Amino acid sequence: MEQKRIAIYGKGGIGKSSTASNVAAACADEGYKVMIIGCDPKSDSSITLLGGKRIQTILDLLRQKIDVKEEDIVHEGYKGVKCVEVGGPEPGIGCAGRGIIVAIQRLRKVCKSIDDMDLIIYDVPGDIVCGGFVAPIRKGLVNEAYILTSGEYMPLYAANNICKGLAKIDTPLSGIICNSRSVTREEEIVKKFSEEIGSKLMAFIPKEQIVQDCERDGFSVLEKAPDSSVAGVYRELAHAIMSNDSSVLPSSLEDERLRELTR
Amino acid sequence: MAEKDISIIHPRPSSIVAALYTLRDLNVDVAILHGPPGCSFKHARLLEEDGIHVVTTALDENGFVFGGREELSTLLCKVNEMFNPKLIGVVGTCASMIIGEELSEPVQDANLDVPVIGVEVHAGYPNNTKGVLIALESACDAGVIDDEELERQKVLLEEATNVEKRHGAASKEYLVPSRGDLKYKVAEKVINYLKEGKKCLTIMNAKKETGYMFADITVAINEVAEQLGVSDNVINMANVDDTLGLPRVRHHATSIMNDFREKGIEIHEIIGGMDEYPITGEKVSELIAEKYNDFDFAVITGVPHAIPMDNLQNMDVISVTNGPRQVYPLKDMGHSNVIVEIDLHPKTLGVSNIVESEFGATMRELTKDMQDAEEA
Repeated sequence: MEQKRIAIYGKGGIGKSSTASNVAAACADEGYKVMIIGCDPKSDSSITLLGGKRIQTILDLLRQKIDVKEEDIVHEGYKGVKCVEVGGPEPGIGCAGRGIIVAIQRLRKVCKSIDDMDLIIYDVPGDIVCGGFVAPIRKGLVNEAYILTSGEYMPLYAANNICKGLAKIDTPLSGIICNSRSVTREEEIVKKFSEEIGSKLMAFIPKEQIVQDCERDGFSVLEKAPDSSVAGVYRELAHAIMSNDSSVLPSSLEDERLRELTR
Repeated sequence: MAEKDISIIHPRPSSIVAALYTLRDLNVDVAILHGPPGCSFKHARLLEEDGIHVVTTALDENGFVFGGREELSTLLCKVNEMFNPKLIGVVGTCASMIIGEELSEPVQDANLDVPVIGVEVHAGYPNNTKGVLIALESACDAGVIDDEELERQKVLLEEATNVEKRHGAASKEYLVPSRGDLKYKVAEKVINYLKEGKKCLTIMNAKKETGYMFADITVAINEVAEQLGVSDNVINMANVDDTLGLPRVRHHATSIMNDFREKGIEIHEIIGGMDEYPITGEKVSELIAEKYNDFDFAVITGVPHAIPMDNLQNMDVISVTNGPRQVYPLKDMGHSNVIVEIDLHPKTLGVSNIVESEFGATMRELTKDMQDAEEA
């Protein structure tokens, strides 16, 4: 099969990292070779795949002028999922965007196993504040983009903006994922939004306390509560992503229409 | 973008470099470039010829990502020990400014007894005079110059920018560089004019230290006129008022005036200070209208495009520039000949006496040859 290299976009705090790590765990359960690359300076993408443990980031090591090797930056987590964190400078200093570019270049140079993966998930920060934050896409590392949103107005507004951005950089959208915040008519709203921008709703992840509980302990739902219903939803989503072979250059909605949709 | 703004595509002077030169005119002993090691390399080297130390924090890929606060404060301490400076300048670069580097914090960290002028500048300004302005404002903040001088400089800078937009390097989207007319031909023409008893105006309107070489053309014309016995047919104008401008600029005016005096050359009209090249035009125009309307030809050196053509219409105008991209705009203004003194600037750094120009040397040699031929 062709290697899948996906990025999950969406408003900050909407659950990108949770979704990414649970999908990664679900795919690993299925026997896929999975790598997750956290591109957020907060470096919290892979923490629930490593039992709550933090790993050294690529930029941590580069800062110390260490000649970085694969084993220094690629750490195996749940069921062999390879975890990488880009890291970043201290908040407010230097340039995190440039950091992502440099770290990813280094990763590609030293990481041989990257080519053997079935699925690589780039967990990118919610706000694409500068060129560095789209580097994974721009440098041709990502071939499918997903957007995570709830049915609330602001996350949808962000999702709509991301669609504009994706169209601008000529990157196709493979689907919308709804991470529920339990607002009224949520599934219907997000489904409608997905269709109107020319895409499809991949999954509706219900808001359940168990996801939080597992995270607090430092685990994915798949590892800590594999029999929960939400674990099943992640499994379905993982399956949908791995078998998805359609993507579109998304259109975006007028502000007025977006408002109408969420009313 | 305003309607008259054009998008210029030829390379032109950088505001970072403009800030460096301004710091030199303020007599800093050390200028620190906070940025990548190769930034402004060529000009940094030239400035070292001019007696100031230029060093760099040499930010690398790590520096871009993590910032260079420590690199800068460490370097401040190091240059303080190495060079024992009385005044230090710190200049931003594109890289350090884009990542939001602060210049004042590392200066505080270093905690030196020496005043430091921090200039937060990058090269992304359409007019390089912005680099001068930012440097001067920073110098004013640091108490190195007063408000009055700052205001005076602001007026000059605005005019300098206008001059470039009207007839200079910012007048067209793309200007083809040219080496100008053959010096031999133009020298012959000037000598013949003098021989014929034509009246000559020399107008030196030089930008700061470039005057060390442009002054030589004034000197050469006067020497030739004397040899031909027509000294009285030459009137000299020059912007060598040494009571105006930043310390170093005044010093240049004094040095050049001393050389003129020593060589027995009278400057009949002092048209301004050596930083006033953008505003001397009007004064020159008035002087011509008042006193020199009947002159036959003018040789304008330095920044010739700052002198309006209004009162020069009846004269044959020959100009000497050091900008290869200035040739066509000057011809468009109506100058019959334009000569370029190639590589003038490097030769005028680190000197305090008039240096020989190619055009001056050509005139001298040619006069000698002509006289030898006549004698033979």
